[in-house]
Amino acid sequence: MYRLRKHMNTVLFALVLIVLLAITITPIYWMVNTSLKTPREVINPVPTLTPQSPTLNNYRTVFESGLWKNFSNSVVVAISATFASIILAFLASYALVRYRFPLRMNKLFLVWVLVVRILPPIVLAVPLFTVFNQIGLINTLPGLIVAFQIYTLPYSIWLIYGFLKSLPAEFEEAATIDGASPIRILFSIVAPLVRSGIIATSIFSLILAWNEFLFALLFVRSPKLLTLPVVISRYIGEYTTQWGELMAIGLFASLPILLFSNVVYKKQTEGFSMSLK
Amino acid sequence: MKQSQRAAYNSFFYLIFAPALLLILFLTIYPISSIVYDSFFRYDFISNTREFIGLQNYSRIIGEELFQRSFTNTLIFTFVASTLEVILGVFFAFMLQRKFRGKRISSLIIIFPMIISTMVICAVWQTFFHYEIGLFNFILGKLGLSPVGWLTDQHVALFSVILVDIWQWTPFAFLIIQAGMSSIPSDIFEAAQIDGANRRQISFRITLPILSSQILLVLMLRTIDTFRLFDKVYALTGGGPANATQTLSTFIYREGFSFFNFGRASSASVLTLFVVAFLALFYVRSLLKEDN
Amino acid sequence: MKRLSIVVAIALLLIPSAVFAGGAQETGVTTLTIAGRDGAYGDAMELAIASYQEANPNVEFELLKLSGSELKEQSVIELRGGTGAFDVILIDDPFLTQLQEAGWLADLDALYQEKGLSIDEDLVENMVNIGRYPYPNGKLLALPHVGNVALFAYRQDISKKYGVDKFATWTEVLEVAKKIKANEGGMTPVLFRGVQGNPIVTGFLPIYWAFGADILVDGKPAFNTPEALNALEYFLELAKYAPEGVTAYQSAQVSDALLAGTAAMAIEVWPGWIGNLENPELSNVVGKVKIAAHPGQVNQSSSMIGAWMVGIPKDSKNIDAAFDFLLHLTSAETQEAIARETGVPPTRHSVHQIADLVASYPWYPAQLDGQKTGSVRPRTNYWSEIESVFGDYLQRALVGNLTAKQALNEIQTRVAEIVE
Repeated sequence: MYRLRKHMNTVLFALVLIVLLAITITPIYWMVNTSLKTPREVINPVPTLTPQSPTLNNYRTVFESGLWKNFSNSVVVAISATFASIILAFLASYALVRYRFPLRMNKLFLVWVLVVRILPPIVLAVPLFTVFNQIGLINTLPGLIVAFQIYTLPYSIWLIYGFLKSLPAEFEEAATIDGASPIRILFSIVAPLVRSGIIATSIFSLILAWNEFLFALLFVRSPKLLTLPVVISRYIGEYTTQWGELMAIGLFASLPILLFSNVVYKKQTEGFSMSLK
Repeated sequence: MKQSQRAAYNSFFYLIFAPALLLILFLTIYPISSIVYDSFFRYDFISNTREFIGLQNYSRIIGEELFQRSFTNTLIFTFVASTLEVILGVFFAFMLQRKFRGKRISSLIIIFPMIISTMVICAVWQTFFHYEIGLFNFILGKLGLSPVGWLTDQHVALFSVILVDIWQWTPFAFLIIQAGMSSIPSDIFEAAQIDGANRRQISFRITLPILSSQILLVLMLRTIDTFRLFDKVYALTGGGPANATQTLSTFIYREGFSFFNFGRASSASVLTLFVVAFLALFYVRSLLKEDN
Repeated sequence: MKRLSIVVAIALLLIPSAVFAGGAQETGVTTLTIAGRDGAYGDAMELAIASYQEANPNVEFELLKLSGSELKEQSVIELRGGTGAFDVILIDDPFLTQLQEAGWLADLDALYQEKGLSIDEDLVENMVNIGRYPYPNGKLLALPHVGNVALFAYRQDISKKYGVDKFATWTEVLEVAKKIKANEGGMTPVLFRGVQGNPIVTGFLPIYWAFGADILVDGKPAFNTPEALNALEYFLELAKYAPEGVTAYQSAQVSDALLAGTAAMAIEVWPGWIGNLENPELSNVVGKVKIAAHPGQVNQSSSMIGAWMVGIPKDSKNIDAAFDFLLHLTSAETQEAIARETGVPPTRHSVHQIADLVASYPWYPAQLDGQKTGSVRPRTNYWSEIESVFGDYLQRALVGNLTAKQALNEIQTRVAEIVE
């Protein structure tokens, strides 16, 4: 009886696993599939599982349309925004954890960060557009990097605060007694201790910035400065008969991050396990 | 500590706190006060004219069916999507608990969806949802069922968007719960097994309660994110059909950047702020409880 | 420590590249950025760019191919921001008034004068006047690029079976639709764009006007008239003979169905989309579809003009170069090439009379007539909102959420709020 039960459990397990993997992979497989099809085959009322006459044309057209520029825009903005956020968040979170500011500032600030986290960014987009316009940040990449802080900074502060909070203060105290300066302590002692947490946060922040759509749409006009999500959204238009090209771009936009997924998984679980202990 | 040392110590903390503080204030306080101000005006972005009209924007918007619809759609989406994502995440984390060959690879594949850009995901799902040549209706046809207007039927559209969100973010819930599970010391399980508990009892009476704070965390994170729904609606349905997928964010966007009616966009934003404040209060409470 | 310095180094490399991105301008090369439409209009623009570059190799182009709504949004955001990111923009004529009033477009009259040129009389005057502010005889702020006129398309071979050669009234349309539904399985009797907003409104307007209804009278909404009610009730009745998913139909679906031969009547087609009707490689219905002016009802039919105009933002950094390009874009040679290769309709008398073009596009005479005598949508700053409200409630009535009367009342109330 037990044997049978165990067997059934294994079967059930395998079933669930396969279904899960299938559901996850299908859209991705479909992307690859469609990107290799000719336009005529794509609008065929009978969807085909594999391209009947595979072609690399879609990729060629997409690259010739100057996608590299948009790709590098996304890379530059995502990395810069993340870098800025992590540094600012690390510094600020450390202060929040180790120092008690007057007027209950610690609590207030954290609550405010939470509010910003929940706030739909569109609420800020309207007035920020006017401000950014006045200071000449519209239609520039640095402008986007600043605007993205609305997403990445609260997120990073929140996460890093969590990591720092669970850090025992003994190491720092010992170092202070030994006469080390606060900065030294911060970078030589604290930072390495929360390293995996910071990496986890950076990766999430990178993904956030890489995918950002709203501000990229509203704040950037020149085709040369657009980021990938906006370019992709333009292919999903009224006359969407270019599914093949759309999938090609989609793959191209996802590949870098997919390749990092190994890193993501490892660091995320490390990072999160740490914070939850 | 000496006086001067203390002063240096203090100023150090102020110094490192300042940049983040100032940046966040700049990016939030000014805009928010600006929209509160603008919400009392009839403000046309194009002609840049302002006209004070008091609470009229508010009274009009609240009475409008479209706004009410946007509001309920947002709530439905937030509630249904985040709850399902958490439940599924927990389910899969439990199901895939054991060690098996290929666990590493499977886990990697499972988190693909949350890494891919939302726009890309919308593009693929749009091909699935296409009424005539989409994969889903094709499969339905093969099974002898009638096609579904995934994005064209006003009763179905919102749930199609929810479906996409679930596909994209359940891995996130899975990841966090799984991480939580793996950090539970195995002695607890061993002890329970020695005491004669079976798998099910262990799962429900032991693992689940231990994971409760992680589960709440995921629920909270997903609620926050789903509340802001904009990208998917913009890409998949544009708010239709018949406004079945309008959300608070798309409503504000439309008022602001389709009609350039910044006065109304601002009042809709302020109303959204109230909901946000309510949500924030709720979460702060639960977070504080956690701390204690 | 080493890790940290690597990170810092990367950051130091990235931040300057971010700052300087989008800056590099080679000397001697002018880059014109065009905010245009997608689809056939995008192809047309590419043609014009290519031919212009042959004569002017030191001008580079960046062409944005956007959907109608995105083009509008991006234009306004850019024009308001004034960063000079766009040098030429395509503008849908109903929306032109708002941009003109805001004073964002360069004065073309002045540019013409500067160059010692005058507006080519070959350009249809009625169309040129759309670009004037105030309409129709003020300063010229935009030139007509695409001479779109809404027309009615029907399979004459099928309509003849039921005794109609040319539709004089909408009532006839409904009767024939009923007969087709009853007798011709597999043939969609009638087709239109049912997507909320601009598509459904533009499809409905010829009916609305034919029944004697108006959108604005003296600047005030006129949706609660008996004529309006008749028009909407007729439309809802007619919609019963349209396909199931019509509420999601865009121009692609309508033209695809026409080309494939599965639709008998399309109540609203624009020349820009049906360029391939007489192309044997892509069309199953060569020679069978007749394109004509809309039927009348209470009023005579009056073609609706929906021109795509081109203008130059005042903040452009290359106004002269942009103007030169505009002259090329609207020249007879370019319009002829565009018409021939993409089917996008011209705005010049001469091009409408070229023999082989008329053979490929037999509706040219109707189109030219429409351009010369047709009417435009009301010149108001609030058109976007009015159209959106109108389209919202139209679609709701279409899917059955509201009755015709309820829908019209809602529209009336909302539009009154908008224009006050």
